[in-house]
Amino acid sequence: MNIAWKEMKKSKAKFMILGSIVFLVSLLTFMISGLANGLSQESAGLIKDLPAGQFYMTKEADQTYSMSRVDRRIQKQILSKEKDATAFSIQMGFLNDGDGKQQSVAFVTATSSKQFKNVEKGEIVLDKSMEDNGIKIGDALTNNQYKGKFVVKGFVKHSKYSHASVAYISMEDYKEIYGTDEMQLIFIPEGGTVPTFSGMGSFSNQQFLNTISSYKSEQMSLNMIIWFLVVISGMLFAIFFYMMNVQKIGLYGILKAIGVKTSSLFKIMWTQMVFITVIALSIAIFLSQIFTRVAPTGMPFSLTTETTVQLSIVFLMIGFIGATLSGLQIKSVQPLQAIQQGEV
Amino acid sequence: MIFKIDNVKKSYKNGEVTEEILKGVNLILREGELTSLVGASGSGKSTLLTIAAGLQPASDGQIIFEGKNLTSMNAEQVRKIRAHQFGFVFQFAHLVPFLTVEEQLLLMLDVSESKLKIREQKKEVDKILKLVEMDHRKHAYPSSLSGGEKQRVAIARAIIHRPKVLFADEPTASLDSKRSKDVMTLISHLTKTLNIATLIVTHDEEMLSFADHIIKMSDGQILQKV
Repeated sequence: MNIAWKEMKKSKAKFMILGSIVFLVSLLTFMISGLANGLSQESAGLIKDLPAGQFYMTKEADQTYSMSRVDRRIQKQILSKEKDATAFSIQMGFLNDGDGKQQSVAFVTATSSKQFKNVEKGEIVLDKSMEDNGIKIGDALTNNQYKGKFVVKGFVKHSKYSHASVAYISMEDYKEIYGTDEMQLIFIPEGGTVPTFSGMGSFSNQQFLNTISSYKSEQMSLNMIIWFLVVISGMLFAIFFYMMNVQKIGLYGILKAIGVKTSSLFKIMWTQMVFITVIALSIAIFLSQIFTRVAPTGMPFSLTTETTVQLSIVFLMIGFIGATLSGLQIKSVQPLQAIQQGEV
Repeated sequence: MIFKIDNVKKSYKNGEVTEEILKGVNLILREGELTSLVGASGSGKSTLLTIAAGLQPASDGQIIFEGKNLTSMNAEQVRKIRAHQFGFVFQFAHLVPFLTVEEQLLLMLDVSESKLKIREQKKEVDKILKLVEMDHRKHAYPSSLSGGEKQRVAIARAIIHRPKVLFADEPTASLDSKRSKDVMTLISHLTKTLNIATLIVTHDEEMLSFADHIIKMSDGQILQKV
């Protein structure tokens, strides 16, 4: 007989309160997670969307890529040795549109590669968000350090860096603006062994992201909030089930007296926990997915299926641990005590 | 003879002092017979019943049920015997608040691992509820039952799985005189018709007329067997 279900049916209000709290906490976690992911895309989408591989910068740069200048001779050696390698640079800057309105962008230039947009001199390829801001293909944009004009050749999706739109320019134009044709970084897509080059430090994708201090601190704060919410939800489960179990000590004792196994009592509690969590999570996932679709275009929000599944599993696990810890008292319930305590 | 309590002792340590609650009690329960344990408060009668029912261990002595010694069994073996072979009626009905009368009995069949199919189980429930005259309230929840009705359901729950021994600890203590007599008549009737060995603890002298054997206890010992 499914006692767990019968109890939930009879005590709807009690279980709905618990369910609604789990729902609110999980929805909040999904939303913050979506925001964290969205912000991380805004902050380093350019890097995050690259395939797994190794980033190289000079050791003298001390893990600050903006200080790195790869010697042209070394760059040539690496690019000739590693076919898929790309040398590239990222610099923050400004673009002026036809109305003289200035927009912050991240200029990116790279040697010929599959990973980065290659553009000719005088051309520029921008992140899609610039199109949403009113810039069209064929528009001419200027920069204070650039004599000529950049003609917009196209747009790419989700290409952001340091909360600014990425603007792909040619190496010649980059040299004109920043006065150097030395690249900051070299990227080699994963191909089994990790090659080493003298005077160059190598970083995996995640390691490289962690060298970007603004990205690291931003993500650290948001991740701390997410895990704090996960821990709170675990504690909520433990407290709620503890209170429910305390109320049912007498009942558990009587059930034990008539021969109900302790494991069956745990199964009742676990069934209720899984049922409440699954329902609460389903509603939270449904609403967060709706939000993903209706969120304003400029809002940095990205909640992937992978993140949702991961968080849901964590919620189920933490709910299970919380309920089980609080349920340990079931094990110590003595039937005799319950009988002597009076009516349940 | 189905149940034998052989020289059972029980003592508790209270600080430096050891209190002896039972001082070597011997008792035999037989099928179809109702044995009443009477005595003043603190005489050890409830302790004896709970030890006999496997709800707490004895300090010494043996509890023999169908030739097997309960005191040498592990907790799981004792639980199985409680679930399959014993029935319990307590001072309060102790019904599960979120189950209907019918479900209380189905739960007991489930606990005793009844081999009956669900339709047969429901038939059995109807039969037992008729026996305790509660068939008209089978879909009611405990909160809507009177004290006497609750106790009748508790008795039905105690016998639905056809136990060999029925333990009842002050089953009439929370009931008025008329309802007490009704409950005792029912227990006595079921003891005979279902051939159960019943051990009942009572304070109420009026209820002794239903017993086949009366055991008077005092200070942890049996004073008199009638």
